[in-house]
Amino acid sequence: MTTAQFNEEEIRDSLKRCPESAIEAAVQFASTRNPDLIPAIVMGIIERFVEPDVRPVLREGNDQIRLLEDLGIDSLLMVEIVILVEETLGIHIENEELRNLRSVGDIKEYLDAKIKGLPIPTGHNILKFEEIAAVMPHQSPFLFIQEARINGVKAEGTYHITGDEAFLEGHFKGNPVFPASLMLEALGQLAVLLMLKSENPAFQGPIKADSIYFVSCDGVRCHKVCKPQDIMHLNVSLKKIHPPMAQFEGTILCRGSKVAKAEEISLVFEFERDESTAGS
Amino acid sequence: MRSVVVTGIGLVTCLGHDTTSVGEKLRHLQHGIVRHPPFVGDPKIPISVAAPIPGFETSSTDPEDWTYPADLRFRLEQLRGLSPNALYAHFSLTRAISDAGLDLKSISDPRTGLYTASSGSAMMTHYNLSRMKKVGPQRCSPLGIVSSIAGTLNFNLAAAYKIRGSTSGFVSACASSGHAMGFAFDEIALGRQDRMVVVGAEDFTEETIAPFSGMRVLSESDDPDTASRPFDKNRNGFVGTGGSVTLVLEEEEAARERGAHLYARLSGWGQATDGYHVAASHPDGEGLARAMQLALGNAGWKAGDVDYVNAHATSTMAGDISECRALKSVFNNGASPAISSTKALTGHALSLSSIMEASFCLIAMNQGFIPGSAHISDLDEEAGGLNILKESVDRTPEKVLSNSSGFGGVNVVVALEKA
Repeated sequence: MTTAQFNEEEIRDSLKRCPESAIEAAVQFASTRNPDLIPAIVMGIIERFVEPDVRPVLREGNDQIRLLEDLGIDSLLMVEIVILVEETLGIHIENEELRNLRSVGDIKEYLDAKIKGLPIPTGHNILKFEEIAAVMPHQSPFLFIQEARINGVKAEGTYHITGDEAFLEGHFKGNPVFPASLMLEALGQLAVLLMLKSENPAFQGPIKADSIYFVSCDGVRCHKVCKPQDIMHLNVSLKKIHPPMAQFEGTILCRGSKVAKAEEISLVFEFERDESTAGS
Repeated sequence: MRSVVVTGIGLVTCLGHDTTSVGEKLRHLQHGIVRHPPFVGDPKIPISVAAPIPGFETSSTDPEDWTYPADLRFRLEQLRGLSPNALYAHFSLTRAISDAGLDLKSISDPRTGLYTASSGSAMMTHYNLSRMKKVGPQRCSPLGIVSSIAGTLNFNLAAAYKIRGSTSGFVSACASSGHAMGFAFDEIALGRQDRMVVVGAEDFTEETIAPFSGMRVLSESDDPDTASRPFDKNRNGFVGTGGSVTLVLEEEEAARERGAHLYARLSGWGQATDGYHVAASHPDGEGLARAMQLALGNAGWKAGDVDYVNAHATSTMAGDISECRALKSVFNNGASPAISSTKALTGHALSLSSIMEASFCLIAMNQGFIPGSAHISDLDEEAGGLNILKESVDRTPEKVLSNSSGFGGVNVVVALEKA
């Protein structure tokens, strides 16, 4: 990690169109290297590169804001942001490490680890349907995740209700609605995917795909219906894990609002074991 | 071969930004040349005058520092890929489309193309490469190339306006935009496209203009009122300018059908090369004379039909003589057409000059005058026998030739006719 020594004037000049708060934080960071200053610096740099009409969205401070879809930051603009961040924080960012930064939260998390010299949070990779189908014990026509991202002990996924799903014909007749039970199923499946794909030490080791079963759920609410052509945005996160049980919470968003929530989904599982030690 | 007309003009020039103001200045021989502080203040540069473009300030290498008229706003990712000439071109293009009575969406279609001409941006090239040498390519703007190389116009404009037809750029120095017009004419005449947006543009910066001082072809005069004086015996070099002009060319029948206003018919064009020297024109204007003959032939005119020739004449010693001889060799039978060089009023816009001067011809044809060749106190002897107008005349030219010559001895002549 190289550290470039910048004096205050140079910092002010290179950050000249950023909000004052970011510039102040950058000047302080140059001498203290305090990681707590990073969010202000980085948010200020991002703000400088997004269109003025999008800045209020950014200032809301929501870590879920997506760089491309919500802020209009394409890959080339991302390069410019990275160059300025590198210069200001005195770090070097590999292209590889950038590929998986999709949200504001991702960036903050990544830079925090970078400055502290910690391992970069891995597992930010996007999984496409084929990769998901390859590991999951579920499959079509009963696999309700099309794309997913594993993020340590969290996962997000999407499912687009095509309208061709067989069960929609009967649920309900003349009024296709995605069943609430399957919303819960989708969240459970995302939790399964999280268990199978996460490399986070919380999971304590590789888990056997065909050993995972639903045990219980609690606090399940559905607020709105989802219909054909809706895209369900699924989110789960690990709450507790005491092998052989793992507990998750999950939410489903659709068209910007929360449509379902499960406070607790409990699954039972087994770890992958060497055949010769099976039964011990 | 189909017939081609001009239906829209967009102007970003030192004389103004609309056909009315530019027409006024042309008619009354009001030039746009001033003492230019950045040149005056630099002891290494022996020139003092230039013709800047009002309403624009583009001396910084950071596009976000530039000032320009408020009628266009740019998204940051667009702005950061621009060079000054591309910035001017955005304005001239949108103005031309509006002038043609079209909306921007209608030019995004497979039968509409975009031909451009500029030499790229010497300023951005210099800045980006110096930075690259200092800090390495990874720390440079990823869009550096796009804003620097010749082609920056077509890259930026084709993307911004979602052009889907034929797109290309022309790089023949001061004949570039003549080539752009000529080949755009061919696209329509040959039935490949129905509409062509032709854009010429050039940076107005030290990097683009000062090297010509090193070539010893820029006027070192410090008097803006006389520095640019094509055909005058005491001329001593040209004056630099930049900006952008866009013309909208359309197939004639389609243009008439949609009720478009027709500035003129582009009746044909011709090009020929001197085969002489990389920078100097053939002493007898041999290539230019042939280009004029070819343009006449392509348009189906005889020399005697021409009312007005807008000369290339840049106010250099040798160049203006070549042109005089070329003109005499073509118009050798009795009356010479009216001739003038509008570079006396604008200076030389390099890649932009051909299309800018064609637009001046169109303005003159529509407003009923022929612009004079300003700042001549003592006409060069070589011009003897040629009808070089010292004042504008109130007569509508019906058949006009517009000449341009560039490095390598290229010559392009465009024939315009009242429609």
